[in-house]
Amino acid sequence: MNIIFAIAVGILFGLGTFQILRRDMIKTAMGFYILFTAINLLFIAVGAFNGSAPAYSQNVGVETTSDPLVQALLLTAIVISFGSYAILLGLIAISARRYDTADSDSLDHLKG
Amino acid sequence: MDNPLLLAPIFVPLAGAALAVLLARYLRVQHVIGLTVTLLAWLASLAVLYANWIGGVQVYRVGGYAPPYGIVLAADLLSALLEVMATTVVLAGMIYVLGCKDKCISLPAFMPLFLCMAAGLHGAFYTGDIFTFFVFQELMVLSSVVLVGISDNRLGVEAAIKYLLISSMGTLFLLVGIAAVYATFGTLTLADIARLLSGGERPVLAQAAAVMLMCAFLVKSAVFPFHFWQPDFHTAAPTPVHAILSSVVVKVGVYGLFRLTLLLFTAEAPLVRSLLLVLGLIGIFFGSLAALRTYDAKRMLAYSTFGQIGFILVGIGWGTPLALVGALVYTLNHAFIKASLLMLTGLVSSRMPNKSARLTEIGGAGNTMALINILYLLGGMALAGVPPLNGFISKLALVRGGIEAQSWLVIGLAVAAGLLTLMYMMRTWQLIFQRAPDPELHLKPYSDNPTAPALLIGLCVLLGVYAVPLVQLATEAVNRLGDPNLYIRAVLGG
Repeated sequence: MNIIFAIAVGILFGLGTFQILRRDMIKTAMGFYILFTAINLLFIAVGAFNGSAPAYSQNVGVETTSDPLVQALLLTAIVISFGSYAILLGLIAISARRYDTADSDSLDHLKG
Repeated sequence: MDNPLLLAPIFVPLAGAALAVLLARYLRVQHVIGLTVTLLAWLASLAVLYANWIGGVQVYRVGGYAPPYGIVLAADLLSALLEVMATTVVLAGMIYVLGCKDKCISLPAFMPLFLCMAAGLHGAFYTGDIFTFFVFQELMVLSSVVLVGISDNRLGVEAAIKYLLISSMGTLFLLVGIAAVYATFGTLTLADIARLLSGGERPVLAQAAAVMLMCAFLVKSAVFPFHFWQPDFHTAAPTPVHAILSSVVVKVGVYGLFRLTLLLFTAEAPLVRSLLLVLGLIGIFFGSLAALRTYDAKRMLAYSTFGQIGFILVGIGWGTPLALVGALVYTLNHAFIKASLLMLTGLVSSRMPNKSARLTEIGGAGNTMALINILYLLGGMALAGVPPLNGFISKLALVRGGIEAQSWLVIGLAVAAGLLTLMYMMRTWQLIFQRAPDPELHLKPYSDNPTAPALLIGLCVLLGVYAVPLVQLATEAVNRLGDPNLYIRAVLGG
């Protein structure tokens, strides 16, 4: 199970890093969200127990239930990353409309 | 022993923000709410500082759950001092907002966002839980991003995109660090992590976590390799927001570094410190030289923050008790000086027809404003560390720490760089206030209200002439930090 998590987190991190470095701002925003998804998966992976049964379920051993704390953390992290994604997309939409392009190379008015 | 006052600086502004959203149509009511709320937060933080001085670490268990399981707010003297700094600057910022003529101030969203930013800032200093720290600092980052996005400056949107992306990379580091901490120790309460770490056990991931957290804090406080977003983002912000961002928001990372080296990873601290020393020195020179050659008065102050943070890092890097006292005093004094200077610059540029603070246009704009002239001169001298003012006290405390650490080369370089500070402050002061104004320049008849910067400069003078209480508080804070068990025992009980 752990090895699958490790590979999935690795792939998502790689994908997100590649995507966030693209010139198209929309793709950058997607990379941003993929990176946060990778982190969310990482949080699931660091949960204390095996996680094949829901937390607090009866009739199963402690070892096989999932860790409720990481789920609580995850919910918070998802909400926050979702909010930042929305704000980022909004800002990109404004700048794309203003400069008529979503190419990050043309967003260079801050130089100096 | 729970102290519910710890909740006040966090939840009173949040409640105020909610109320301000509901009353979005009534700008005056929003202003009254904002002022009341920040005043209450300020009083509460002072009360917490007093309680701390008398009775040691103040703790509040949210929801009544005992610490390793529940969320806990904990203020030792370090947190309480930094919190007083934050609430004071936020209060001054709020006073400036009331008299500010920017268009974005009258947007209904401004006040709720401003209060959310304040709540996140206050929460980040008080929380005793690393995940809650993440939540609070994200609240702060997201609200400040939107505040800069709605700024009157057209570059605000671009700066906000830049900051949101870069700061989120810092947040990623923080989250990976948190995950590593949770995977190794199974707990997120700072005191519990510190207890497990001081037990002598060194899991492999502990060092990885230390590096990740350090990177996160370095991004947040714009230290050398991660500094490039800071001047862009801060310059585009509305004046009161700029004053808060450049003076206290960057100190959240500094606070994190204090905690990292003194509470959590005390065994890895020598390594972290030597790195901070180098990064701090680079920051001092890079920031000061960049401030000397930049083209905009606001941007110059943003670069200067970058340099001044370098001085603080050098103090943390020396790591001796006196040096830490110096760093702490420097942190507080710099916040007051920088906030007032930014407000003064914003005030002058608010009289410009296009609100610009470009040095090529603003020259002579302040020639007729006698009060602002004197205040700016005082602030500039305080920043450079000229004797009767508080900047001198902080530089003196820092140099004493350096002598204790016997690090002569670094002291020499830092003091030499202090002269650079004097150079860039005097250069802009002469340019804005001493030169005869351009006859083509038509200044607006009204400007922002100078009450807030005047109060802050007053505070700077006061802290310079009568510096004993602050230095005593900082010394005591560092004394108590020297024994992490005080904090651990207070939070975990027993």
